[in-house]
Amino acid sequence: MTHGSFQPFRSRGRRVLLAILCTFVLSSALSVGLSIWSTSRSQHKAAVVEIAGRQRTLAERYVLQILLVKAGRQADPYVLARDLKGSATALLNGGTAPAVFGDDDSVSLEAQRNAVARAQLVQEEKLVNDLTATGAAILEHRPVSSVRLTAGEHPVISDPIERLRIIAALTSNMALNATRTIASATDQNIANLIVLQIGLGVGGFLLSLLLAWALIATTKRQTAHFRSVVDASTDLVLAFGAKGCRYVSPSVARMTGRTEAELLGDGVFEIVHEDDRGAVRAAAEQGDPPELVFRVLDTSGAWRELEARVSDLRRDRQVRSVVFNTRDVTERVRLEEQLTRQAFHDGLTDLPNRALFRDRLDHALARSGRSAEPLAVMLVDLDGFKQVNDSLGHDAGDQLLQEVARRFATSVRSSDTVARFGGDEFAVLLEGADERQAVSTAERLLENLASSITVAARELVLTASIGVVLHNGGSEGGEDLIRDADIAMYAAKEGGRARYAVFHHDMARELGELLGIEHELRVGLERGEFSLHYQPMVDLESSRVIGVETLLRWDSPARGSVPPNRFIPVAESTGLIVELGEFVLREGCKQASLWLADESLDHDFVTWINVSPRQLAPGGFSTRVHQALADTGVPPHCLGLEITESAIVEPGAAGDRARHELEELHALGVRIAIDDFGTGFSSLGQLRHIPIDMIKVDRSFVQGAELDAKDATITSNLISLAHALNVVAVAEGIESTGQLESLRQFGCDSAQGFLFARPAPAAEIYKVLLSPVDEATSTAA
Amino acid sequence: MRRASIFVLILGGAALACVLTACGSRQAAGPAPSLVRVKESDYRIVLRPARIHAGRVRITVDNLGPANHELILVHALRAGLPVRTDGLTVNEEALQSDEVAALEPAVPGTIRHLDVDLPKGDYEVFCNMAGHYMGGMRAFLVVT
Repeated sequence: MTHGSFQPFRSRGRRVLLAILCTFVLSSALSVGLSIWSTSRSQHKAAVVEIAGRQRTLAERYVLQILLVKAGRQADPYVLARDLKGSATALLNGGTAPAVFGDDDSVSLEAQRNAVARAQLVQEEKLVNDLTATGAAILEHRPVSSVRLTAGEHPVISDPIERLRIIAALTSNMALNATRTIASATDQNIANLIVLQIGLGVGGFLLSLLLAWALIATTKRQTAHFRSVVDASTDLVLAFGAKGCRYVSPSVARMTGRTEAELLGDGVFEIVHEDDRGAVRAAAEQGDPPELVFRVLDTSGAWRELEARVSDLRRDRQVRSVVFNTRDVTERVRLEEQLTRQAFHDGLTDLPNRALFRDRLDHALARSGRSAEPLAVMLVDLDGFKQVNDSLGHDAGDQLLQEVARRFATSVRSSDTVARFGGDEFAVLLEGADERQAVSTAERLLENLASSITVAARELVLTASIGVVLHNGGSEGGEDLIRDADIAMYAAKEGGRARYAVFHHDMARELGELLGIEHELRVGLERGEFSLHYQPMVDLESSRVIGVETLLRWDSPARGSVPPNRFIPVAESTGLIVELGEFVLREGCKQASLWLADESLDHDFVTWINVSPRQLAPGGFSTRVHQALADTGVPPHCLGLEITESAIVEPGAAGDRARHELEELHALGVRIAIDDFGTGFSSLGQLRHIPIDMIKVDRSFVQGAELDAKDATITSNLISLAHALNVVAVAEGIESTGQLESLRQFGCDSAQGFLFARPAPAAEIYKVLLSPVDEATSTAA
Repeated sequence: MRRASIFVLILGGAALACVLTACGSRQAAGPAPSLVRVKESDYRIVLRPARIHAGRVRITVDNLGPANHELILVHALRAGLPVRTDGLTVNEEALQSDEVAALEPAVPGTIRHLDVDLPKGDYEVFCNMAGHYMGGMRAFLVVT
């Protein structure tokens, strides 16, 4: 049906049609040619017959003229004798038959070819000679017996005139014979022509019939061929006309368990899912869109997903339909749904994960912006969960988390979202909730959690700390709300656990002041209480250290070593993170320059530095990086910046500025990595347009890659995605050889984690950098 | 031995049947007819033989042409055949009682047969196309 497609019979059909046409043309041309030739011959024969017949008259007239002369009347038998002889010769050998006065004009004749007629004309010529010789003897008064007769006649009567009359009668009779022979031959020719014409007609008709039969047979074979192809195909073919479905392939009937008659017309729409029926009907009527996915009911009563390629062939005179070439893509759709679910759901509790929560939060914020409805975000952290894990084991911990997830899910409305961020941290999104409703939900969560949970034959009672943040139409983004909920949750923990705390804008500052952290952070920065530790990044193929990640450490004289998750949120919320980030950049570059001065390290050795979104947002970050590189002499390609997904996909002017800064730095040669990849919500479309060199797969996936099939699938897909984007994949937080083996199987390029080396000061880490890392020995180190 | 006797008996019966059949056929056919070959040409009739015995006669007429010719067999008349007033053809109407047999005109190359039972007497054969008889197409057959 379509041009350039497989058409095994098309040329044969054309050849047959051409043959039929040629047969008609040929037989018609032959018939017309024969008719023309035959008419021409008949005209000539008529002239011959006329002259032959005229001989009879002339012979009788010759006798009459002899008698007239003998009676003394005026006559000229000699002229007549000449005409008789001339005509006889012309009839026999061809030439011009003379004109006869008062009768005919001269006629041109061809030599006679018919054997019988020719013999008769020879005899006639002899008789004419005998007749004219006898006539001449009479006129000249010579005895007629002296005339030697040549035609075999031997008259028994001696009377000259009687003798002349007998010879004239013989001449006339012979002329009659010749005329009849010639006429008979002409009749025979006409009869032959008629037979030939009939033969040609019948032959042409039969040949045309044969060719038409061949054409029909070819068409039947062609139809049967394509029908067999369509019948045997597992693809589903449907054709729609003005009155609904006009053709369904047998595969449709097989799949749906309905007969062809049931499916034709509007029948096929009855098995289409109600939600898809309108789209299918519109496509069947308009031939658009070109591709369509819809559901139909199969024989078992299950919905099958069909992907149709819609071709509008209504203008094709041989089809006059909208044709659906449809494939059953149910398995593919199911797999996609499964993968999507794996990517956006927590494998243990089946709750949405952080990425899906962020997505729903962003959508909820967008709706809130339009409707001015409030919303609330809660972060829930279980109190003392680590002790449960440590004392009862991970399996018991997992069971506990599943039960908690179930209780949380039943404590909220169906329109709300409960997510698990990882570990014992949960989040709740309440759309359209004000403070009273949010607080009510938080109390319900705590209440439902209060009843004991039986795990590993132990009755456990859990409590949780809940941070609540409300959004009432402000400009906060999703990450801001989560961060604020985190601060509120931390405040709840600091307030004694088993409670909730509602975030207010001064909470971070109050919290910091409460803890003295903010002040201590500023003092600590001035006093040099911050230092950098470095964790090697190992190439999994060569086992060589190819770079380090720089990590900020705070050794407070009052608090001791403060973990980053304690002071970084405060630094983020107070803006101190910008100063701390500059400290890291400056010190990191200094250390990198020292290492690069040492010839024993590779020229491509990269020092990676974490960059906060707040460092990028105000602008001018690239200038500071330029300055740091210039001050220390570190080549741009030896410096790497690790940024979170949220920093690069941030909408608005701040996001544009950040992306522009990164593009500028990347153009200079500085490496860019996406940190904690998989926990944000980067779309492939956005990632393609951002200059990145590396993707760091979040530790929450990596650590589950060995034992959790879903985490393994996600980790493998993230690594494949990195390779598809032509960037390096790095696994974070590798702690066991099993995890490392899994990552190697997935094709991961590099890794870092306790298995290779714990973060350590530059002096300690230096010896690790110089030799290939043996995971077994380095773990001990 | 007995089988051989039966075979000889059957064979003998068959031979006898053949002989009787052959004898019966000969009795039904009677004596063979006399054969006369007639050659017609312009303008002559030749009989071979011209004298035969009375009885059944098969006359084979061969028209050598080139003109069409007929053949009429009549009892020969002492005064000759009567001629029509045109002076060119025999008056066949006057010869009806004497006409024995006739063949219509035929084209050259035609061979025809005429079976007649002729008693003793003189017969004349001729072609009565215009002028043919007068031009010499006549011959006599004597039956003894």
